[in-house]
Amino acid sequence: MIGEIAHFLSLSAAVLLILILIFNVFFSFNKIHSNQLTLSLRLFNQACFLVFVSFGMYIYLAISDDFSIVYIASHSNSQLPVFYKVTSIWSAHEGSMFLWIVFLTGWSILFLNSLNKNHPLKRLTLLMLSLIILGFMLFLLITSNPFERILPFGVIEGADINPILQDPALAIHPPMLYLGYVGFVIAFSYITAYLFNGDFELQWEQDIKNWSFVAWIFLTIGITLGSWWAYYELGWGGYWFWDPVENVALMPWLASTAFMHSLFASSKSNVLKAWTMFLGILIFSLSLFGAFIVRSGIIDSVHSFANDPERGLYLLGFSGFISLLAMGIFAYRIPSLNSSKLVVIGSKESFLSMNNILMITSIFSIFLGVTYPLIIESISGDKVSIGPPYYNTIFAPIILIASIFIMISVDAAWQRSMSLRNISLTAAIPSVFSLIITYVVWYATGIFSILAYIGIFSGLLILTSYFVRVINNLFNNRFINKGSAIAHIGLGLLFFVVSMNSILSYEKNLNISLDQTVAVDESVTAFSFDDIKVIKASNHDIISAEVSIRQDGKNVLLNPQKRKYITRGQITSESAIQATILKDTYLTIGDQLENGSWTFSLKINYFIKWIWISSALMVLGMLITIFKQKTS
Amino acid sequence: MLQVRKNRLWKIFTIFLVSSGGVFLILFSLNSTLDLFYTPSEMLEADIKPEYRIKLGGMVKNGSIKRKGTATNFLVTDFVKEVPVTFNGVTPDLFKEDSGVVMLGYYLDGIFKAEEIFAKHDENYMPPELSFEEEKI
Repeated sequence: MIGEIAHFLSLSAAVLLILILIFNVFFSFNKIHSNQLTLSLRLFNQACFLVFVSFGMYIYLAISDDFSIVYIASHSNSQLPVFYKVTSIWSAHEGSMFLWIVFLTGWSILFLNSLNKNHPLKRLTLLMLSLIILGFMLFLLITSNPFERILPFGVIEGADINPILQDPALAIHPPMLYLGYVGFVIAFSYITAYLFNGDFELQWEQDIKNWSFVAWIFLTIGITLGSWWAYYELGWGGYWFWDPVENVALMPWLASTAFMHSLFASSKSNVLKAWTMFLGILIFSLSLFGAFIVRSGIIDSVHSFANDPERGLYLLGFSGFISLLAMGIFAYRIPSLNSSKLVVIGSKESFLSMNNILMITSIFSIFLGVTYPLIIESISGDKVSIGPPYYNTIFAPIILIASIFIMISVDAAWQRSMSLRNISLTAAIPSVFSLIITYVVWYATGIFSILAYIGIFSGLLILTSYFVRVINNLFNNRFINKGSAIAHIGLGLLFFVVSMNSILSYEKNLNISLDQTVAVDESVTAFSFDDIKVIKASNHDIISAEVSIRQDGKNVLLNPQKRKYITRGQITSESAIQATILKDTYLTIGDQLENGSWTFSLKINYFIKWIWISSALMVLGMLITIFKQKTS
Repeated sequence: MLQVRKNRLWKIFTIFLVSSGGVFLILFSLNSTLDLFYTPSEMLEADIKPEYRIKLGGMVKNGSIKRKGTATNFLVTDFVKEVPVTFNGVTPDLFKEDSGVVMLGYYLDGIFKAEEIFAKHDENYMPPELSFEEEKI
C-alpha cells in the first residue's frame, strides 16, 4: 500500500510540473499576472515536497524489507544492516535515478527560494528547472519504475546488494557525485533563463557563483571517494582506470573547473562573459551526456547499468533536447553578449583563458576517447577499446603547458599586462628548481618515462611557484590568495604524486606454501605465510590468510581475505593494506593450487595517501574561497 | 557583419580547428593504443602479428584451468574454436570456469599471453559479443 502511495505521490509531482509548464506557457501570451509567479512557485514547492515524501516512503519500504517491490527484492536483503538497506536504493539504476531526481528537486527548491521575490529571472529559471525535473520524472516513471510490484505475491527474501557495494565509501560515493552533477543544473537553468530573458544589463555572476562552487566541491569529493574505493576494494591496486564512466565524471569536473576560473575573470575584469555562460551550459550538458553513457549501456564498463535501448533512446533524446535548447538560445544571443572589453595580453585573465582553452581541449580529447570506439564500430564493425596510454599521452603535454601558465599567473595582475622581464623573473626559480629535482628523481630511480617526468616537472613547477609566493607573503608581506594557493598546491601535488606513483610502484606475484618463507626483493626481505583459516560470518564465509613480512627492517602483519557471499555466491577479495606516509604495501590472496600452495599478489604502491590529500587540499581551497567571499 | 566580429569569429574558428586537428593527429598516431577486440574464432582467422596487443574475449572452458606456480593456463572458447591462454599473476575473483572473460595481451606461437584479465564485477556477466554468439548456438 505504501508503495502505491509513494508511486502516486511521484506521479502527482509530475502532473504538478506539467501544470506549471502549461499554465505559464499559456498565460505568457497575455500580460503577466502579478501573482502568476507566486502561484507557480507554490506549485513547484509542492511538487518538490511530494518527491521528497515519496522518496522518504521508499526509504521506509527498503528498511522494512518490502520484497514485493521488484527493485528492493533484487537489491536488498533482510540480513543487511539498516545502513546498507538504505544505500541499496542507489546501488542500481532505478533507485539511483530516483536519488538523482531528489537531489535535482532539492537544489532547485533551495535556489529558487533563495532568489529575491521580484527577481526578473525567477519565473524563467523556475520553468527551465520544472522542464528538466519533469523530463527525469517521466524517464523514471515510464522506463525505470522503482515502484514496480512482483504480482501477485512478493518474494520472501531479497537477492542482496552486490557485496562489493557493501562499503561505507561506496555508500556515500553516489550521493556525493550526484549532488555535484546535479548541482550544476542551477547554473544551467539560470543562464538559459538569462539568455531567454534578453536583458543583458542584469548582473548574473553573483547569483550562481557559490551554488556552482558548492556543486564543484561535491563533485570533487564524489570522484575522489570513487577512486579511493576502487583502490582498496577492487584488489587491482589502481585508483584510476580511464574507464568510460570515470571519464564522463571527469568531463563535467574539468568544465566546472574552467567555469569557475572564467567566472573569476568575468567578475573581476568584466571579460569572457559569453565564454563563461557557454561553460555554465556545458557542465550540465556533460552531466546529461554522462547519464546517457552510464544508463544506456551503450558502452561496456564495470560501472554501466544493464543494457536497455529504450532508456538509452529516451535519455539521448531528452538530454539532446535540453542541451540543444540551451546551446541554441546561446548561439542566438551571442552577438549581443560580446563584452566591450578585450582580454589584455599578459594579464592574469589572459593566462586563465589559455588554461580554459586547454581544459576544453582535454574535455574534447576525453569525449573523443569515449566515443571513438562507438564511431569505429558503427563505421567498420571493428571493436576497439582505448586504454590509459591514449589519455596519458594526451594529458602530459596539456598538463605541462597548463602548469607553465599557472606558474606565471601566480604573479600576474588582473587587467594589467605583465612585462616579459617579470615573466622571466617569476619563472626563473621554479623552472630551475623543478628541473633539478626532476633530474634528481631520474638519477635516484634510474627509471625513465618521458610522460611521468613531464608530470613530475609540471607538478613541481606549480608547487615551487606557490612556495615562492608563500615565502614572499611571509617575509615581504605580499598579498596571497589563500584559497587559490591551497587549491593549486593540491593540483601541483596531484600531478607530482600521480607521476611518482606511476614510475615507482611495482607488483610481485608469489606462489608459496603454508609455513614457508621467501625473500622478495631488497625492500621486502622476508615473506612468511603463517596461517590460513576459514571463518563464518553472518552472510559470508571468510578465508583469511596470515602473512608476516619483513619490510625495510620492520615486521608487518597482513591479513588478506577472500569472502564468499552466501546469497549471491559471489567471491570478493579483501586486500590487506599497510599504509605508510610514503608507500602502501598491498597484498591480495589468489587461488589455491593442487599441491596446496597459494598464490599472492604483493603490490608496493607509492604516494597513494598523497593523492587523497591533494584532492582534499583542492576542496579546502574552494571552501576558503567561498567563505572569504561571504565575509568580505 | 562588423569587421571586428568577423575577425573574432575567425579567431575562434582557428582555435577550434587547430585544437581539434591536434587531437585527431594524436589519435591517429596513437593507433598502438587502440586495442581491437576478437573472439577466438575471429582471432584464429585473422593474421595477428605477435607485436599487436589485442583484446580476446570468450568463455573459460570447463575443466581447463591449470595453475602452476604463479602461472595460470586455461582454454578460452567461443563454442566454435578455442585458444590456449597463459597468464602470470593473481586472477580476478570472478575468473572461473564456464564464465566470461576478456583479456588484453599478445598472440604468439599459438598461445595467447594475457597481460591483464578483466572479469566484470557481476556474476552474470558475459562479453556482449559472446551472449550474441551464444544465442545463435
